[in-house]
Amino acid sequence: MTSPAQMAGYASDGLGYKTFPPDAVVIPADADDLARVIAVLKGVPICLRGAGTSLSGGPVAAQGGVVIHTSRLRAIRKICPEGLWCEVECGVNLNRLDQALAPYGLCYPPDPSSGPVCTIGGNVASNAGGAHCFRYGVTGNYVLGVEVVLLDGSVHRFGGPAGGRGRWQEDWKRLMIGSEGTLGAFTRFWLRLTPRAEKAWTFRATYADLASTERAIHGLVRHPAFPVAIELMDPRAVALVESSSMAMGLPKDHFMIVTEIDGPAALVDRRVESVAEVLRSAGSKDVQFGDSPEARKNLFQARKAMGGLLGQISPDYLVQDAVIPKRALAELLQLIYDEADQAGFPAVTVMHAGDGNLHPNFLFDSSKPEELEKVEGISKRLMERVVAVGGTLSGEHGIGNDKSEYMGMVFGPDSLRLQLAIPQIFNPRHVFNPLKVFPERRFAA
Amino acid sequence: MKQTAALPQFDPLSACVHCGFCLEVCPTYQLTGDENNSPRGRLRIWREEAAGRLEAEPMTDFYTSECVGCLACETACPAGVPYGEIFEKTRHEHVATGRFKPKLELKVAAMAVGYPALFNLALTPVRALRSLGFLPHPLVFPGRPAVLESTAAYARRFMALRKPDGPRVALLTGCLMEAMFREINFATVRVLIENNVRVVIPDDQGCCGAFQEHTGLDGVEALRAKNRQAFDGHDVECVVSNSAGCGFALAKTLDGKPPVRDVLGFLGGLGIKPRPRVAGNARVYVDLPCHLVHGQKADGIPKAVLDATGYEWELAPCAKDCCGSGGIYNIQKPENAREILARKSAFLDDAAGEPVILATSNHVCMMQWNSARSLVRRPFQVHHVIQLLDPGEKALLNS
Ligand SMILES: Cc1cc2nc3c(=O)[nH]c(=O)nc-3n(C[C@H](O)[C@H](O)[C@H](O)COP(=O)(O)OP(=O)(O)OC[C@H]3O[C@@H](n4cnc5c(N)ncnc54)[C@H](O)[C@@H]3O)c2cc1C
Ligand code: SF4
Ligand code: SF4
Repeated sequence: MTSPAQMAGYASDGLGYKTFPPDAVVIPADADDLARVIAVLKGVPICLRGAGTSLSGGPVAAQGGVVIHTSRLRAIRKICPEGLWCEVECGVNLNRLDQALAPYGLCYPPDPSSGPVCTIGGNVASNAGGAHCFRYGVTGNYVLGVEVVLLDGSVHRFGGPAGGRGRWQEDWKRLMIGSEGTLGAFTRFWLRLTPRAEKAWTFRATYADLASTERAIHGLVRHPAFPVAIELMDPRAVALVESSSMAMGLPKDHFMIVTEIDGPAALVDRRVESVAEVLRSAGSKDVQFGDSPEARKNLFQARKAMGGLLGQISPDYLVQDAVIPKRALAELLQLIYDEADQAGFPAVTVMHAGDGNLHPNFLFDSSKPEELEKVEGISKRLMERVVAVGGTLSGEHGIGNDKSEYMGMVFGPDSLRLQLAIPQIFNPRHVFNPLKVFPERRFAA
Repeated sequence: MKQTAALPQFDPLSACVHCGFCLEVCPTYQLTGDENNSPRGRLRIWREEAAGRLEAEPMTDFYTSECVGCLACETACPAGVPYGEIFEKTRHEHVATGRFKPKLELKVAAMAVGYPALFNLALTPVRALRSLGFLPHPLVFPGRPAVLESTAAYARRFMALRKPDGPRVALLTGCLMEAMFREINFATVRVLIENNVRVVIPDDQGCCGAFQEHTGLDGVEALRAKNRQAFDGHDVECVVSNSAGCGFALAKTLDGKPPVRDVLGFLGGLGIKPRPRVAGNARVYVDLPCHLVHGQKADGIPKAVLDATGYEWELAPCAKDCCGSGGIYNIQKPENAREILARKSAFLDDAAGEPVILATSNHVCMMQWNSARSLVRRPFQVHHVIQLLDPGEKALLNS
């Protein structure tokens, strides 16, 4: 595909306001086809694309060239209930995998909120996380093996399930996880599975001030029930839900925490009261909880609705993905609020509070160039402060080309030299995904 | 700790945030894997063209023509993008400016439905053939319609005989439904009257306009104006429709005056009289029309209503996914429609039960399912759910 209209559809990822139209798009029919395409493409940059939900400018042709879209590699090839693993193609959608595992009583735990659409390929390439990763860990914890097509079209398998078939190869899967399409094209994965939790309870509590909210978070992270998720919404986020059609009677000026415990029914049923008590004793006068699927859905709904609601009220939003030490939360929230007020646009903040992954969303209008410039200025100052208090750039969205300029803030020259040495081996001319992660990764024909 | 900058007001028309949640539910994306053939892709292309950043080109016309109009993307969209509205406007514009040419037979049919009496008359031979058991086309499903008596006359007759005194509703009889598949209207009248509902059939009602909407042709407004007049002043609780697509189009037209309800949803609220349990091995698979769940945004068909059929039933796999009918999509894009149907109907081959019945609540979906006979290896029946609730004429008169 090469027509301008066709390129328009592939010009951006989840950051719709930043466009990089490719020169051509290929949709391979299967993995062999994909390897052939890579083998014959010479002298052009190649960018792999899953569902294009990245929020960091990952799956876009930043330097032109060809986008390879994996949308047709969507076979779940094997589910092995005895070995607790499955084999999937890179374009398999996360929620569809979950549906396929459910009848076996199995689960693949990483759960980015983009589950209804994102692909396992994109998840592995950006080492995706999600609400439940506080307890279960992120994508990388569940990858047993990766099949990769390298620059010359050769196919390699790194790692695999225990006792896997075929010749053993280097266990370099850790290099591949989180490589954001800069080392090669993934075609297949072997993923570790867990038994599905028998039962879960979901809790929701509101707090009048940040101090009591923080008390609740500290209480939860140390609680022996070991919550699977601890999600925080700031008053702006709560107000946003309350002024939408999803209003559920929450106080608009309060913080809100959503948390969940799961495990064997007999065990979690006994822990419900003590978790509720942690939430109450931290200062909440409104703690709700439930274990039926509808109740749980309602309790989680406000948190899940955020991304969409932002879209309803603002032409664009810039979301950051900082990871911060929990003690710095008050300081950083204040900085976010001050910056947003000064610039004149609102910020709506949510956080995977368990692991300190903070997502402030700045609402702006990209059709006004001065607004984009302003919001990027804020973003930069915020990230500087995040690093200064001991935090880092990205918890789950990846670096892409949106945050590549910030790499020097966290990594010293030595570390950068080592990190850049790896693409030097796999992808010396930066054919795969140039300008991503490191701004100096420029494709040269 | 407070911010001063105020939250902006909600604006449903403010554009899509590019989250992609609509991709996995879109039948044409599923079919092709091409982002341009998805809601997010189409919206992007249209917006680029509207902003003057993209010239009008054949690929834009092609991707616009590929959309089935199932509206699954509206249900999936967390940002409330009114895709259907935007799509309808774009399609109409493409037809008006010659960028897209609907097939000739569709143009003729669109013109004909504007004249219900003539349309009814012209299709008399088809009704006659069906009533004799001949099926002139793979899309035409079996049934025994009355050839001459209209639904309006039939309803008057049964109202006089049974004199129900419950809630009063108007029935939308539809154009194709009345001209070709009248037996479903008759069954609807019987079920309503059996449940003590007073049925009014406004004589001057016309086509709901869905046909024009689907083809992008002119004339929707005239049809809407006619129906606004026809359904005005009958002192009814609501208008009921037995076709999800027509009901959806009429709901947009009447805008709550009076409200339009799907007949099965309406019956669900009444506490419906059940049919006796069906003995044996028969099993009903219920498919949900897109314009019921994504258009009218109903949860589905009420469980109480499906239980009342007396059959063992379950939802068909992927019941909320499109069957490929798309009103007229199966005529405009037969290859796509067939592939969508092939994937959706594959389960029937190994489905439990004998006989196997596929039941839905929209005649155009029934037509599409009927055409799956050449894809599915085993025999199966296609019915409207209302037909499974039908007491039959004799029983109704004797009860
Ligand atoms: C509403 C919304 C909510 C989100 N919530 C979360 C969240 O909770 N947690 C989270 O971690 N992320 C979240 N994200 C970000 C995004 O969904 C994730 O980064 C996801 O992993 C991307 O998957 P994808 O299939 O869309 O990949 P893409 O966006 O298409 O690609 C992402 C990166 O992976 C590379 N890539 C894709 N496929 C391959 C392949 N086969 N081989 C090599 N490289 C490949 C691309 O080049 C790109 O660099 C969210 C995004 C949205 C829009
Ligand atoms: S209406 Fe249906 S076919 Fe059209 S874009 Fe939406 S989901 Fe796809
Ligand atoms: S789901 Fe809605 S907001 Fe998201 S890409 Fe689709 S149309 Fe846009």
